[in-house]
Amino acid sequence: MLAEKYAARIDQIFSKYPTKRSAVMPLLHLAQEEFGYVNEEAIQQVAVLCDMDPTQVQSIAGFYTMYSERPKGKYWLQVCTDLACALRGADKFHKELKEHLGVEEGGTTEDGLFTVEHVMCLAACDKAPMLQCNFHFEENLDMDKMKARIEAWRAEAAAEKSGAKKASAKTKA
Amino acid sequence: MVTAMTKLVKVIIDDREYDFPAGMNLVDAAKQVDVTIPVFCYHPKMKPVGMCRMCLVEVGNIQKDRATGEVLLDDSGNPQIRWMPKLQTACTMNVSDGLVLRSTSKAVDEARRNVVEFLLTSHPLDCPICDKGGECPLQNQTMEYGPGESRMNFEDKKHLDKHVPLGDLIFLDEERCIQCGRCVRFQAEVAGDDVLAFHERGRDLQIITVSDPGFDTYFSGNTTDICPVGALTTTDFRFGARPWEMNSVPTLCNHCPVGCNTSASTRLDRDFGGKTMIKRIMARQNEQVNEIWMCDKGRFGHHFTRSEDRLLQPMVRAAGGSLSRETWADAVAAAAKLLGDANGSVAVIAGPSATNEDLFTLKQLAAGVGSTRLGAWPPTHAGADLVAKVGVGKGTNLSNLGKGDAVLVIATDLEEEAPIWRLRVKTAHDRGAYVVVANARKTRMDDFADAVTMYQTGHAATAFADLRKQHPEVAERLINANNLVVFAGAEGLTLDGSRALMQACANFLIETNHVGRANNGLVGVFPGANAMGQHYLGFSPEATRDIIANPPKVLILAQADVVADDPAAAAWLSKVETVISLSLFDDEATRQAKVVLPVQSFAERDGSYTNGERRVQRFYTAQGPIGEAIPAWQAVARIAEKLGQGKARLSAAQVMNDIVAAIPAFAGCKYSDLAKVEAQFPQVGGDDLYYGGTSYKNTGGLGVQIASAADNGEAVALGDVKADAVKGDLIVVPTVRLYNRERVFQASEAQLMAARVAAPYVEINAEDAARLAIHDGDMVQVSAGAAQPVKVRAHVNGAAPKGTVLLPRNLQQTATALTIAAGTVTKV
Ligand code: SF4
Ligand code: SF4
Ligand code: FES
Ligand code: FES
Repeated sequence: MLAEKYAARIDQIFSKYPTKRSAVMPLLHLAQEEFGYVNEEAIQQVAVLCDMDPTQVQSIAGFYTMYSERPKGKYWLQVCTDLACALRGADKFHKELKEHLGVEEGGTTEDGLFTVEHVMCLAACDKAPMLQCNFHFEENLDMDKMKARIEAWRAEAAAEKSGAKKASAKTKA
Repeated sequence: MVTAMTKLVKVIIDDREYDFPAGMNLVDAAKQVDVTIPVFCYHPKMKPVGMCRMCLVEVGNIQKDRATGEVLLDDSGNPQIRWMPKLQTACTMNVSDGLVLRSTSKAVDEARRNVVEFLLTSHPLDCPICDKGGECPLQNQTMEYGPGESRMNFEDKKHLDKHVPLGDLIFLDEERCIQCGRCVRFQAEVAGDDVLAFHERGRDLQIITVSDPGFDTYFSGNTTDICPVGALTTTDFRFGARPWEMNSVPTLCNHCPVGCNTSASTRLDRDFGGKTMIKRIMARQNEQVNEIWMCDKGRFGHHFTRSEDRLLQPMVRAAGGSLSRETWADAVAAAAKLLGDANGSVAVIAGPSATNEDLFTLKQLAAGVGSTRLGAWPPTHAGADLVAKVGVGKGTNLSNLGKGDAVLVIATDLEEEAPIWRLRVKTAHDRGAYVVVANARKTRMDDFADAVTMYQTGHAATAFADLRKQHPEVAERLINANNLVVFAGAEGLTLDGSRALMQACANFLIETNHVGRANNGLVGVFPGANAMGQHYLGFSPEATRDIIANPPKVLILAQADVVADDPAAAAWLSKVETVISLSLFDDEATRQAKVVLPVQSFAERDGSYTNGERRVQRFYTAQGPIGEAIPAWQAVARIAEKLGQGKARLSAAQVMNDIVAAIPAFAGCKYSDLAKVEAQFPQVGGDDLYYGGTSYKNTGGLGVQIASAADNGEAVALGDVKADAVKGDLIVVPTVRLYNRERVFQASEAQLMAARVAAPYVEINAEDAARLAIHDGDMVQVSAGAAQPVKVRAHVNGAAPKGTVLLPRNLQQTATALTIAAGTVTKV
């Protein structure tokens, strides 16, 4: 339960707003962090916390692209294809990125590492084409630059994995 | 509402000057002077949101000299107008002095064409198989304002799910939805249950619900009326018929005291032997009664009229004991003989769906054989006589209640007993009225009440009489309210307790001067459609009590399903020598009757009811006849004729003429008076359906409200409040559920609703449950008073106060306690 696990953080979030209802968005972010995406569990718990009807919470989660209602990869790549980016070749970049990773729009790679989707303007038009990976911007992109980033993320994930293995081996020993 | 206080402002619409009350929006204002501004998202019963852009118009202002306030003129002497640079949404703009509006122009026409074209880029255009086709605002406005041809590629259309059940009763076609949000806003603003919302955005947007329970409020059907496309359809009607092949017949809902005006859409139908059949029921506008709304019970609860259990022929019990079919002439003769031979020992008990005409004819018949014993069924609610004295004043319209006014709801759950009153009290609350809910338990009305006061089970009258002491701040608000309406029921009260409460309410209203004026006074939340008619025509629950205590030789049961309602009925009925039953169904009472006369339901005949606000309203014949059933009044009149009491009348209208002549309350209630209509706001139906939805325009009559004694200026005296309460360790309180297994709701075909009736249960307080070692979900046996014990499931859900168990009536075939009684609950 979020309410128990993150009691202090939730209190702190509530303290910033006049009504409980107003805290729905930060709480949805918290739930997304916890569950990896906004699942049914997340909706129900946030609804109880904010004293709202779950349908209204789901509606908010559905409206904003920064909430994902489907499970997604470790690296969530949101490519802007809006006007300014499109003028700088974002559509092509988006297509090539999908081909490179072998996924469809909104899909996740088989190793569970990458999810690619396109989004509306992220307000970094001057550095187009761009994308955000887990809410951090990657700017002035081209495929070469991107391939390098992807390799770096793969390495990072692999390191984390073996690190985790070592750590668990250590605790066992 | 326009009152003398409202400031008027001058507005020019399409070159003509008009006065409008300040604060009115441009769509409504234009509508009032017959200028059409097309809309999709705006609905006159809900707040504007400016989402669809269909209402774009040109708006400007007459220029005035800042210093002098003089209107500036142009070279040719006309006022100078400063036009706003862009088109404005008329629904989100209010009238103001000097505002100039152009409802058509090149720019406006083009804007509308673009909006329609844009809506259609994502629309499936499956009108030929769409339930709304023929009465669809999108269809009509496309014809009127649309481009005729699309420039879009049909292949690029968005394909979404076309059969999404939003609840058990309503289906969503996601492709047809034009995202106007009317359904979402209806649920949030009008019904007060925000279980619908948008999901995603742009073309992916859909209506969703993930609530539990989902979209199954009692008001869900109304969304299909206001949805401007065929996106929302009812499970009951979808694919049932095309709008243009149906006739609409003005009728009334007779399930509760609200008396919603409805319209039956009928056609000749194979499923009904080629006879005229009701295919759907929709609301018919009566702003003073149900506005443009109705509840799902009324909308979907018409199947019983075609139930296989309907009685088809008159029957008479032979000497041997079995019922055999007879002709009407023989059955009438048999009944007449029984009555003639009874030596005046005759009584009548009439049920809640007997019409004014039925009741009057019964009264005449009884008088003719020397009896004045006229009982009203069920004998649970007293005080209709007090409502006749201090009932809500003539001209009352709950929609006029707002800031400074107050509503008290006591001893009833309006949501279950009179849903549209619940809806109208809720919207009154939203307009600023102070709403107090007083009960012995929690109800869903508490959710929006401004004050909730609880009293001990059975002590409504004393609690109310003590209100000034116990809750002075609440009492103060009620006393000082400009207008005060009190809704009083009889939950948890004996018949005497109910009288005491009604008297306490009447006293309070008289003392605080809230009687004899519109929007002030008492409303009895009585069972059925015609409790006030029963009162005015001489039928009372007290007489029923007397009939039960002193059984007559011959008892006429007129649409009173006494055995299904009252567990003691079998016993008291056995003391009556002869029962003559006028009934729709082959029910228990019928099985004990000597003469059984099949009568018509509201669907197959015409007649009138007197609703809870004392409005006499008329309904018309909608459906083809069933078997040999005739209207109850006609059956009764034929018996009277046989007894030599005079010729039977030929029509219900003639009977009403007799009522008007004999009963002063009904003065001015001739059928022609009841059929009168006047313009109502907002306009709905027909050419106006783009604006108010498909709810029907009222062409059948708005009815006539009977004046209360206070309205007539008669002095109304205070009365003694004689409290009466039941004592016991555990008290069983019968409650009412809207969806129940009453004969006039339940029917073989109505699987749709059958699934929605709760399984029999009893609600018990956690402390009592612990003491009796009962857990939530256990099967228990409940006995109350003299009633046969019933086995039901226990719900330990916080609904029942300590020492009280709540046992809904009519959830099972066998009768449970009709009124409050001490009882026991044991685990089985
Ligand atoms: S379902 Fe109908 S009422 Fe609801 S948003 Fe869609 S078009 Fe409007
Ligand atoms: S509120 Fe009452 S009268 Fe109106 S439709 Fe529902 S049951 Fe019928
Ligand atoms: S258009 Fe891509 S960031 Fe603005
Ligand atoms: S924007 Fe005015 S009616 Fe929709």
